[in-house]
Amino acid sequence: MQQHKLLLAAACASLFFIHSKISLAADRDSTGQVSLGNLPIHIGLSGLFSAGGSSADTDELAGLQSGGHDPNRNGFTLQNVELSLSSTVDNYFDAQANLIYLIDAEGETVVELEEAFLTTRGLPGGLQVKAGQFFTEFGRQNKQHPHTWAFVDQPVILSRLFGGDGLRSQGARLSWLMPISWYSEFYIGTQNANGETVTSFLYAPGEEVGGHLLRARGADKGSDLLYSVRWLNGVDLSETASMNIGFSGLMGPNSSGADTDTLIYGMDLYLKWQPTRSQRGFPFVAWHTELLKRDYEAGDRADPSHETLNDSGGFSQLLWGFKPGWIAGLRYEYATANGDTAADPLRDDRKRISPTVTWYPSEYSKLRLQYNYDKTEHLADNTNHSLWLQIEFSIGSHAAHTF
Amino acid sequence: MRAYFALLLWCTALLATSQTQAALQVVTTTQDLAAIAKAVGGAHVEVHSLTPGTRDPHFAQAKPSMIRKVYDADLLLLIGADMEVGWLPALLRSSRNRQVLPGNPGYLDLSTSVSLLGKPAGPVTRDMGDVHAQGNPHYWLDPDNGRLMAQAIAKRLISLDPDNANDYQRNLTIFEQRLTNKIREWQTALALLKGDKVIAYHTSLVYLARAFNFEIVDEVEPKPGIAPSAAHLNRLIKHINDDNIKLLIMEPYYEQRSARFLQDKTGIRIATVPQSVGANPGINDYIQLFDGVVSALKQAGAL
Repeated sequence: MQQHKLLLAAACASLFFIHSKISLAADRDSTGQVSLGNLPIHIGLSGLFSAGGSSADTDELAGLQSGGHDPNRNGFTLQNVELSLSSTVDNYFDAQANLIYLIDAEGETVVELEEAFLTTRGLPGGLQVKAGQFFTEFGRQNKQHPHTWAFVDQPVILSRLFGGDGLRSQGARLSWLMPISWYSEFYIGTQNANGETVTSFLYAPGEEVGGHLLRARGADKGSDLLYSVRWLNGVDLSETASMNIGFSGLMGPNSSGADTDTLIYGMDLYLKWQPTRSQRGFPFVAWHTELLKRDYEAGDRADPSHETLNDSGGFSQLLWGFKPGWIAGLRYEYATANGDTAADPLRDDRKRISPTVTWYPSEYSKLRLQYNYDKTEHLADNTNHSLWLQIEFSIGSHAAHTF
Repeated sequence: MRAYFALLLWCTALLATSQTQAALQVVTTTQDLAAIAKAVGGAHVEVHSLTPGTRDPHFAQAKPSMIRKVYDADLLLLIGADMEVGWLPALLRSSRNRQVLPGNPGYLDLSTSVSLLGKPAGPVTRDMGDVHAQGNPHYWLDPDNGRLMAQAIAKRLISLDPDNANDYQRNLTIFEQRLTNKIREWQTALALLKGDKVIAYHTSLVYLARAFNFEIVDEVEPKPGIAPSAAHLNRLIKHINDDNIKLLIMEPYYEQRSARFLQDKTGIRIATVPQSVGANPGINDYIQLFDGVVSALKQAGAL
């Protein structure tokens, strides 16, 4: 069996090298001109700030606005300043790094290495490898950086299951563009399960999840890693409408016990309509919905506090670009969990409705106004109202819009 | 051992299917490029345009269905000069097709085969609006550039598929001959416009103006991509009256309100001209594009 595996690896490696040689030869024969004037390295800086207030006080806002880049103070919040660098490394790889600067509630500047990864440029068979520190392929929203969000804050259910900064870690993932007539891509990945950005898994000792204290748990075996799968499909329904539908799953250990696991799964749907005639990409209607569920085995079987935490939630948002530069949006969210969770801001029953309007003076700046109507169990006032005004700038390389 | 052979077969099959296809798969960013590629490639190519001619290619959005098309492509044709900068780089990164990455034989940026107008003399800042540092990318609207584009495409098709070189060469000759005859016809039809001062909506029709000897003296947009303010429209009214400007030309996808306002105040004629193949029904090839321009100008009473 071992021998077979070696042979397989050798076969694939040699095919890869044959393919690379063909492409290398092609590069030398090339008559295509590399366009000058393009910087060899793309550099961009974006800043996202907000001002606003809530019927909740600033302490309570920490529970209401639990996303790491959410506006979370009565007054001003510097949500996210992001420096993004990307370039082609060589014939084989592209690389990208995103550094985040923010100022926390104590006024301290925090620097985060949000992402730094390389991707292969042309593996055969529709394969692509990404390796480094990166957002886990799960759903549509998790991978989005704060400056591309359609609302000022991140969905409640993502803050609950993935923590304030989104699910990201160090690892590698392989994706396969399937050889079928429509776009269908399959992702499989593995990443470290520990750290502040992997909250549903090993996370960090001393933290608490659903009332269970997390302990130090080693991460030495393959089964101590986080595994992810995603299947994404995209089809054009007509000249004017397109649809993406994805299914994602995560599996990994959590440190509420010595042998406890977490399973998260979800589905995402994105529909976009744009008439045949459109000016600067307007008008359009886009509908984005995600549903997520977590089964968190808390405490070992022998432990008297052994239980399975079931959390679920979702959001559905509709965006209407009604004239060039103007987008109106409406988002509905809910989140719930099993057990006696009324006092836990990360597990209570929660509903939030957020209407918003955004104005883009150009592609490089935006102003956004958003109102949040919040129904929570954990606060004395079950209903809260917040109003946020957000402003963004973006300088440097033209940021490419991904789908 | 059986498993190993199966995998090897499967890998070989994948490689084989990706490298031998009956017709060359040509993917273009716009329908204009697709039309020229079809004319030159004939039966030896299968052409797909990523964006429809009814939309502004600068503001297209990369869609997953495009990834599939680019992955399958043997040749990618683009307008270049930053026209597709908002979506093509991300698309190329996702498409994992080395053949069509910049610098490879399957990547052809047609802006390198023509000379661009409107290259800014000094440094470019974004305060200037959507100014393209490499020059104005709307060059396909000069039929002489269409000829240069067809020549560049033919040359590339011949180098990718030398077996059919004679057919590509013959198709090119036919296309050029048709174009030469039609250019004479269009010049005659548009002779009335010669030397006229015209207002455009966006800085996108300068090549059309150069080809048919009229002059674009102002734009409805104060800066490229910036929506006109009331003050700017009032300044335009004065300009139209002072210089006795008779014609405003614009693409079908721009808002009509500003132009109608100017028409109400000054009586200026509005011609909504198709800017691309596919912009209007019945415009299915590069020759029909200019036929469409001529008939739009006739319809507006400009000719």
